[in-house]
Amino acid sequence: MADRARIAPLAFLALLLALPPLLEAADQAFYISLLTRVLVSGLAAASLDLILGYGGMVSFGHAAFLGVGGYVFGILMSHGFMGDALVLGGVEIPGTNEALILLPIATILAGLVALAIGAICLRTGGVHFIMITLAFAQMLYFLFVGMEDYGGDDGLSLWDRATLAGWDVSSDMATFYLSLTALVAFLVLARRLVDSRFGMVIRAARQNERRLAALGLPVQRYKLACFALAGMAAGLAGALTVNHAEFVSPAMVHWTRSGEILVMVILGGMGTLYGPVLGAVVYFLLEHLLSGWTEHWMAAFGPALILAVLFFRGGLWRLIVGKEMDTAGGEARGEAVHHG
Amino acid sequence: MVDPSPPTLELKGLCKAFGGITATDNLSLTVAAGEVHALIGPNGAGKTTTMAQITGEIRPDAGHILLDGRDITTLPVHARAALGIGRSFQITTLFPDFSALDNVAMAVQAKAGTSFRFWRPARQESELRDPARDALARVGLGDRTEVPAGDLSHGEKRALELAMALAGRPRLLLLDEPMAGMGPEESPRMVDLLLALKGSVAMLLVEHDMDAVFTLADRLTVLVTGAVVASGEPDRVRADPDVRRAYLGEGDHAPC
Ligand SMILES: Nc1ncnc2c1ncn2[C@@H]1O[C@H](COP(=O)(O)OP(=O)(O)OP(=O)(O)O)[C@@H](O)[C@H]1O
Ligand SMILES: [Mg+2]
Repeated sequence: MADRARIAPLAFLALLLALPPLLEAADQAFYISLLTRVLVSGLAAASLDLILGYGGMVSFGHAAFLGVGGYVFGILMSHGFMGDALVLGGVEIPGTNEALILLPIATILAGLVALAIGAICLRTGGVHFIMITLAFAQMLYFLFVGMEDYGGDDGLSLWDRATLAGWDVSSDMATFYLSLTALVAFLVLARRLVDSRFGMVIRAARQNERRLAALGLPVQRYKLACFALAGMAAGLAGALTVNHAEFVSPAMVHWTRSGEILVMVILGGMGTLYGPVLGAVVYFLLEHLLSGWTEHWMAAFGPALILAVLFFRGGLWRLIVGKEMDTAGGEARGEAVHHG
Repeated sequence: MVDPSPPTLELKGLCKAFGGITATDNLSLTVAAGEVHALIGPNGAGKTTTMAQITGEIRPDAGHILLDGRDITTLPVHARAALGIGRSFQITTLFPDFSALDNVAMAVQAKAGTSFRFWRPARQESELRDPARDALARVGLGDRTEVPAGDLSHGEKRALELAMALAGRPRLLLLDEPMAGMGPEESPRMVDLLLALKGSVAMLLVEHDMDAVFTLADRLTVLVTGAVVASGEPDRVRADPDVRRAYLGEGDHAPC
């Protein structure tokens, strides 16, 4: 089992690396673009897993940070294309179409917004936390709807994709590999993180906050830092989504989007990081299959999801690698979220 | 007589009411360095509430709490723990999905400065694992290190609680009914454990098992409806007629 846990991610990575040329050779290049959507959704889901699966923070507003990253990316891109500077409080900010500038800015700003929202939401717990994260995401939704300069309700179309260090990486193939690189980088960093001292505190906080405080740890500070880190990764996912779609709209932060990401995490397996990516793959696959079969695919998907949650409580990933995949001595029971 | 060094713990005129219920009524007591001070009283006397005020989970309405002479009345829970208050809960609270070793290692980590460390795998840090293993060995869990805490027997969980409290090298140990729910063969082991610790750390012990109390305590305070009825050496308190009537009843055993 332990071996499978190590080999499975590498096998999936090898498959992903090989797929685009194969798809192109098979004249199925359309799927490269679909796969890119899957990857960036997988990144969003994996970032949610950090707070949900490890930290036990059930956020129903994670799409808010996707939206922030997406809009920051889209707005700066559009100014870059139009050649007019963005004026914010008298300061002129030039636009750009350089990914090496856009992606870090989108990531950091999403992190800052997560820090602010988290500081408020984390004062509550349980159902209140779910509701207030949802409320903040909806606030952002209406904020974006109100931004008439950037398309309001209809959203903002971009003219091209970003460059990377001046290189043209706008092809579907290059966009795929750019997105994959970001996903892999996040997964590598996040795996380190969850096993570090910081990660152990986060995992302990899911199980028993009161005990953690009694040991002398300021729990809220750690949870907030984790929430902000997850927000950063979601912001990156949002920026990459917009780069791929060449389009950003308020729909990106709609509560149904937050729900989708949540479903991917639960489907793939909370507290596994890789699982949510697999969850994204399966989600898109089911959407593809079921929507071809019936228009009301959500109605069929709902029951399928309930079955999945009931029968594979550890999620799909644990079905593949076994329950003890992250058991370097602990967490052998791979359970669902404990509410504090 | 003025003692030049302040006691490890001093409670001064502590008061706490929940609505109409007085849970702590002008409570003052001290625990000297290395002393075992037992706090006894009938159910609902306010023992756990007293503990919670010392740890910071509950704010007193009035009065002061001093640790080594320093006023900690307004400090948050984690800051007090960092100053050296270790605690075992009346109802076992652990990290159930972590192994026994992970549980204690977390206690060591909490004392080892900031946990804003993101890179090195914590389960491979010997500076966390070694002291944790030692603490587990001290409480007799040396061969149970890899078992998930949630799967331990009740007695083992109580011992793990103690190991976690000890791993932080506290100056003051707050033990809320460490023997609660233990079987007849487990209780004496816990008493032996605490006896071995006696002198090395100050303890405030809440316990209904009177044999354990009289074995361990240097001093005894009897609490009834939040107020001190008697306080002093165990034998003198035991002989106090008020105490016998109010609490101890016939013989040496609690009426519960
Ligand atoms: N959070 C609370 N809200 C309201 N009343 C409370 C609260 N906590 C305790 N009390 C009340 O305060 C009184 C003291 O309770 P406490 O738990 O401190 O007693 P105890 O001496 O620890 O009892 P036991 O021996 O049963 O553990 C009781 O009457 C209890 O009902
Ligand atoms: Mg009690």
